Amino acid sequence: MRVELKRKQWLLVVGGTVLLLALVLILWRTVALPRDHFWENIEQTGVWRVAMDPSFPPFESLDPEGRPVGYDVDLARAIAARWGVEASIEGVGFDGLVDAVWAGSVDTALSALPYQPQFSQNVAFSRPYFEAGLMLVAAPDRPELNSLDDLSGMRVAVEWGSEGDLQARALRRESPDVIILPQETAQQALQVVADGDADAALVDRISALQFPGSGQLRLVEEPIVSDPYVLVMPRKTPILQAQVDEALQALQEDGTLAALQARWFGGSQ
Amino acid sequence: MSQSRPSARSVGLVLLLLLLAAGILIVVVVQSGSRVSVGPQQTVQSINPKMGVHTRLTDEVEEWKVKRTLEMVREMGANWIVEFFPWAYVEPNRPGEGKWDHSDMVIRHAAAQGLKVIARLGYVPQWARPDDTTPLYLDEEHYADFGNYVYEFVQRYRDEVDTIVIWNEPNLSLEWGFRPVDPLAYTEMLRVAYTRAKEANPDVQVLGGALAPTLAPPGSEWGMDDLDFLQAMYDAGAAPYFDALAVHAYGGKFPPDEPAAPDAINFARTELVRDLMVANGDGDKPVFITEAGWNDHPRWTRAVRPAQRIEYTVRAYDKVLNEWPWAEVLAFWAFRYPASVRTYQDYFTFVTPDFQPKPIYEEVQRYSRGEELSGPGGSD
Repeated sequence: MRVELKRKQWLLVVGGTVLLLALVLILWRTVALPRDHFWENIEQTGVWRVAMDPSFPPFESLDPEGRPVGYDVDLARAIAARWGVEASIEGVGFDGLVDAVWAGSVDTALSALPYQPQFSQNVAFSRPYFEAGLMLVAAPDRPELNSLDDLSGMRVAVEWGSEGDLQARALRRESPDVIILPQETAQQALQVVADGDADAALVDRISALQFPGSGQLRLVEEPIVSDPYVLVMPRKTPILQAQVDEALQALQEDGTLAALQARWFGGSQ
Repeated sequence: MSQSRPSARSVGLVLLLLLLAAGILIVVVVQSGSRVSVGPQQTVQSINPKMGVHTRLTDEVEEWKVKRTLEMVREMGANWIVEFFPWAYVEPNRPGEGKWDHSDMVIRHAAAQGLKVIARLGYVPQWARPDDTTPLYLDEEHYADFGNYVYEFVQRYRDEVDTIVIWNEPNLSLEWGFRPVDPLAYTEMLRVAYTRAKEANPDVQVLGGALAPTLAPPGSEWGMDDLDFLQAMYDAGAAPYFDALAVHAYGGKFPPDEPAAPDAINFARTELVRDLMVANGDGDKPVFITEAGWNDHPRWTRAVRPAQRIEYTVRAYDKVLNEWPWAEVLAFWAFRYPASVRTYQDYFTFVTPDFQPKPIYEEVQRYSRGEELSGPGGSD
C-alpha cells in the first residue's frame, strides 16, 4: 500500500513536469519565434506585392494594353503560384526600387536588380536567379577558347567603351598580341564573330542571349565578371526570405528558370 | 685597485634611456613608412587646357591612393580638379579646431602633379546647426562661422588654391538642408563667404552658383529651376559677390550639340545660363563648369550607350575649348570613387576603385594627346 502511493506520486511529478515543459515550449514558440509580418500579410491577403520598373525588356515591360510582361513578371507569378497567392505587380522607378522595399511599401522588388551589398544593412537579398555578367562568346571553330587566358593572339570583338572593352584592354596590357575590335554595340560585336571576322567577343550575358545568331556561337557559361540578379526584401522577414529562396531553388530544379530563359531570350532550354 | 660596480640606479637610468631611444626610433620608422613621397614636380601635357575632372578624395583615407588618383588625372591630360573640402572635417567639434591633415595631403599631391585645384567648400559641422538637421543645413546665424572657415582655408592655401566654390546646388531642397530653397539667403551666404575669402587673399577667385540643372516648377518642394534661381540671385544683389559662375552641365540622353531650350536639361543649357549672365551685365565673368557628364549604366533612364558616352565626352571638351570662349573649365563628374557604390553612379567614373582605367579614360587620354580615338569599326 505504501509503495503504490509513492509510485503514484512519482507519476504525478513526472507527468506534471512533462506537461509544464510542453506548455513552456508552446509558449516559447508562440512568443519568442521571430515574427514575419510581411509573410503573415501575404498569407492573410493572398497577395504578394512585387515592385518592378517595367522599362527593361525582356525582363519587364508593358504590352500594348499596358500589362506588365517579361521574364521577371513570369518569375513572380511562378513563385506566387507555388505559395498559392497572387503576385501584384506594382510599378516603381528603377532608382526607387530598393527604397520602396526599405520603406516597407512593397514586399519584394523583382526587377533585374543586381546584388548590392552596400544595402545589406537595410534590405535582404535572395539567392541569384539570373547571371547577367560579362561572358566570353567564342566562334564555333574555336573550341579551345574558354577563359581570358586563352585569348592571347586572338581577335576579340567588344562594344566600344563597355566592361568587355575594359577587360580586353586590361588583358592586352599583359598580352600585347591580343587584337581588340571595338564595335558600336554588343550585337555588332557578336555579329563580327558570327561573320568569322573575330575569334571571340566579350559581352554581357543578356546581349549574348538576345543575339539572333546565338545558336551559331558558343557561350562559355563561366562568367568573366559575375553580375547576378536577385530579389530584394525587407530585412526582418526570415520566413519570406526562406520561402523565396526555397521557391527559386525548386524552380531551378524543375526547369522553370530554364524555360523562362528560353521563352524570353529564345534558343533551347 | 678595486673596480666600482654600477649602481642599480644608474643601470635603471640607462635602461630607461634605451627604451626612450627605441620608442623614438619606432615612431620615426612608422611615420616614414606611412608617408608617401610626393615625388618630383610634374606638369600636365594636354592639347586642351580647359580639361578638368571632379575628384572624390574626401573619403579616400590612404595617401598612396590619393597620389595615384591625381597621377592618373594628370596622365589623362586634365589640368584641373574640382575637390570637396568639407568644413565639418576640419572643424568637427569646435570653431578653429583645424584638422587640416587630409586636405594638406590632397593639396600637396595635387600641386606636385601640376594640377590646378578648384576647392568646393561646404558641409556644416554639428556644432554649427541644430541637432535634427543634415550637414547641408546652415542658418544665417552661423554664416559668420562658415565665413571664418572660408577665411582659414583661403589663407592656408593661398599659394596653391586660387579658386573656390561656395556651397553646392543651393537650388535643391536636399542640398539646402531639406528646407525650401532660398536665393536671398544663399546670396547672403555668398556675400559673407566672398568678403572673408577676399580678406584672406584678394586674388582668390570666388565662384557662386554651382546650381543643379532642374526644371522644377514654381513652388516645387524639391527645388527651383536653375535659371529662375540665378535671376533671383541677381535680383538679390549677388553680382558683386562672385568672380565667376560655377555651372553644372549634365547631358542626360542628349549629345553636347543638342540645342539649348529652357524646358530641356542638356549640356548646352550652359548657354542659357551664360545668356542670363550677359542680360544681367555680368558678361565679363567666366563660367567654370564644375560638374558635367554622361552616364553609361545599362538601364538607368538617363544613360547613354558606352560608345556615345565616349563620343559626347570628347566632343564636349572640344566644344568648350573651341566654341565657348567664356568657359574656363569643363570638369566631368566623377573621376573615381574610393569604393564601388554598385548603382548607376559607378557609370559616371573614368577609373575603377582599383585604378583600372576605363575605356573612356584611355580615349580621353588619346584626345588630350591629339591622337585619333580608337573608335568602332577598326582594330585597336
